[in-house]
Amino acid sequence: MRRWLVLRYWLLPEPIAKITEAGDTFRKGIAVPHNHLLPRRSALPGRVHHGGHWECWKCIGISGKDGVVLVGERKVTSKLLQTNTSAEKMYKIDDHVACVVAGIMSDANILINTARVQAQRYAFAYQGPMPVEQLVQSLGDTKQGYTQFGGLRPFGVSFLFAGWDKNFGFQLYMSDPSGNYGGWKATAIGANNQAAQSMLKQDYKDNITREEAVQLALTVLSKTMDSTSLRSEKLELAEVFLTPSGKVECQLHSPESLDKLLVKSGLTQPAAEAS
Amino acid sequence: MSIFEYNGSALVAMVGKNCFAIAADRRLGVQLQTIATDFQRIYKMHDRLFIGLSGLATDAQTLYQRLVFRHKLYQLREERDMKPETFANLVSAILYEKRFGPYFCQPVIAGLSDEDKPFICTMDSIGAKELAKDFVVAGTASESLYGACEAMYKPDLEPEELFETISQALLASVDRDCLSGWGGHVYLVTPTEIKERILKGRMD
Repeated sequence: MRRWLVLRYWLLPEPIAKITEAGDTFRKGIAVPHNHLLPRRSALPGRVHHGGHWECWKCIGISGKDGVVLVGERKVTSKLLQTNTSAEKMYKIDDHVACVVAGIMSDANILINTARVQAQRYAFAYQGPMPVEQLVQSLGDTKQGYTQFGGLRPFGVSFLFAGWDKNFGFQLYMSDPSGNYGGWKATAIGANNQAAQSMLKQDYKDNITREEAVQLALTVLSKTMDSTSLRSEKLELAEVFLTPSGKVECQLHSPESLDKLLVKSGLTQPAAEAS
Repeated sequence: MSIFEYNGSALVAMVGKNCFAIAADRRLGVQLQTIATDFQRIYKMHDRLFIGLSGLATDAQTLYQRLVFRHKLYQLREERDMKPETFANLVSAILYEKRFGPYFCQPVIAGLSDEDKPFICTMDSIGAKELAKDFVVAGTASESLYGACEAMYKPDLEPEELFETISQALLASVDRDCLSGWGGHVYLVTPTEIKERILKGRMD
């Protein structure tokens, strides 16, 4: 017994020393209020480290009566950066849940992997899809754990989750680095989210259709962006909806179908693409 | 009696020209008593990959659920379907994990690669793979299936001929085995479509 106590006492001082070293940002027991963990330290609000570049972007989610829409803005920071045609910020968690990430990508990858495993564990145990809120909550629990104990840094990631389950239908959730989450009709995270949020507050109507939700998301995104023209390489879009046969589907739009959508919504001219 | 023969099963897969077929009987028994006559022991992993699990039915179902778990995570991470060869390695690894308390199953895997090349393979309950160019068999009727397939199989059959061959081989074999039978379930997979057919055999 006595030996055990001695050992424990010996183990304790280590992490405390680390905490003091890390400074106020990582102090024990402090929940990080938003995804400004890195931004604050580097004094670049809304900027996040990604692939060796500082990237700045925003994500919008809108839920309608027949589907949920997620839009993410991607920013090309350098001419030399290899342009990635596939999705970088949109991830499918399971057949019925998709998410978009705002924050540190390396942290996000860990969390996305945990979420996917969690969803499959549920499906294995109960032979059915995991309820969306339960999935969001389980990820929140993981995030929360890292705000409570010393020596470890919290996950610097916010998520928007879009999903469908048979009990509550279409749902949209936002989860922040502290592990807090909430259900939303429409919301925005990432850079410049205040402006987007207030635009959504004005323009969102209850019972909008999925198509209207796509329109609204694209309009809000284009109006809150710094650059003037909205092009397919600057954005990612995912939809969760039910097929006519009643099966839930997550669709990630390809650059081609995004171009079509943008032309349809009148945000870009079709002539520009032809040249 | 071996635990592999508790429920009874007959399983066969054959390669044709740019296509494959996989077939199984439909009986689920408890020793000599028949419990169900519409049992499914062939499972679809994705559009061009199938696995049949012969042996103890309860282990087959659990094993299938574990395979779905791993396959789904692979699909999400890699954003593509698993190649048949890769899947065979996965099944083998999962089986060998339980080397000293195995799943009492003998799987048959059949799939089409991205280049429309058919792949078939079987393995024992601890994951030792056996690859074949022509046909593979498993289950309590495996001995008679070997005979029937040796006699009837020809290389490079067209899809419809392949369906006829595998069906005749299966029906002929299950009649020589007390523990399998009660019709058959055949999947015929070509690069463009999957045909699923249910065979009526001697229903006794």
